[in-house]
Amino acid sequence: MSAAGSPNPEYVVARVRARRGSLFGDEEYRKLTRMGPAEIARFMEESTYGEEVNALGSRHGGVDLIEYALNRNLAEQFDAILDWSEGSLYDLIARYLRKFDAWNVKTVIRGVYTDAEQSAVEVDLIRAGEFDDRRIRRLLEADSIDGVIEVLEDTIYGEPLREAYAEFEETDVLVPLENAVDRAFYERLLSGLGGDEPTRQYESFLKAEVDFRNATNALRLARSGADIDPAAYFIEGGDLFTRSSLARLAQNLDELVEYIGDSQYGEELGPALRELEEADSLIAFEHAIDAALLAYGDRLGTIHPVSVTPVISYILAKERETENIRAIARGKEAGLSPDEIESELVIT
Amino acid sequence: MFEATNELGNLVLSTGGTLTDPNAAAALAVGLAALGAGYAERGIGSAAVGAMAEDDDLFVNGLILTVLPETIVILALVVVFIV
Repeated sequence: MSAAGSPNPEYVVARVRARRGSLFGDEEYRKLTRMGPAEIARFMEESTYGEEVNALGSRHGGVDLIEYALNRNLAEQFDAILDWSEGSLYDLIARYLRKFDAWNVKTVIRGVYTDAEQSAVEVDLIRAGEFDDRRIRRLLEADSIDGVIEVLEDTIYGEPLREAYAEFEETDVLVPLENAVDRAFYERLLSGLGGDEPTRQYESFLKAEVDFRNATNALRLARSGADIDPAAYFIEGGDLFTRSSLARLAQNLDELVEYIGDSQYGEELGPALRELEEADSLIAFEHAIDAALLAYGDRLGTIHPVSVTPVISYILAKERETENIRAIARGKEAGLSPDEIESELVIT
Repeated sequence: MFEATNELGNLVLSTGGTLTDPNAAAALAVGLAALGAGYAERGIGSAAVGAMAEDDDLFVNGLILTVLPETIVILALVVVFIV
């Protein structure tokens, strides 16, 4: 686990490809949608999630057990990938996995803000990022937002959070802090990427992700009609939008849809965009975006077989798997029918 | 690196012409082939170990694939018998 030494994509890719084979396929999902929460937990016990389900089984039950087992498995798998990789490969993978650090920081801040129990916050963390257990422990022990920022002083989040803290004190809403965390993550994500061909492919994937995130944010704002400045939510680094064009397009839903349809993503998102115009359903569009990203990731994994891209492609697929299982379990809990749940899943 | 090899060749040719000796040239050929095989096995070996770590059944396949580039050296050895 270090950024020293020469990259070892062969080793990491071989392990990741083997693990990819054990991800759930169509057949398993179909089975899962017809099970109750207890049965899903049992099914997971017999799959790659066995260890986590057994470890957590005595403390939690039902959908919570599934949820925590998924989080823990995700964290362990991604930590292992970081553990194996060396050199520039480590740097490239850690860039993406830092999003879990950002998630953890936001969760802790929310926990402090709402005076949640320490143990309640702890189970919601996904320890897949670069933060070690010691830092996470200190984060959990912090009893004020100021204390959280102090723990993060020497990380990339320290300075932006410190700046946003003043605004937080004035308005007492979390948005400035959460935006600061997101922005610190995305700034770091795309800065100083190397120049070889697989890395460029990876970069264009990251840019697509930023574009999609901007597009969803803009669509949500445009649909809700809320009087919020879209530029405040803008994430730098994408190709599709600039700060001003996003601000302008978020005013008008039709123009925005047309703009996305004409862009380089138009082909993949076309059907979803038409659905958005007809049925006015954002959910379908967000699923289409997820599916497009996943398909992009799959394609990415085959162009340069021995590089960072298959690893990222696996990380995406694994994330998607945990989200699908979570959707199934939550859907079951809410009493949705198998068909309704299936429409919530993103499977390529 | 290539310039250095060139210079080395020139030097050898001008001083005693050791490389024009067939035996020496054959030895060099085998050596370079072995170097190439070693480089190829580096990548295959680390991938094979990675695959084996996930699934023990892959040991035989991994072993076979890892030593496949060794055939290059065996072919290069033929040169030794020809000269």
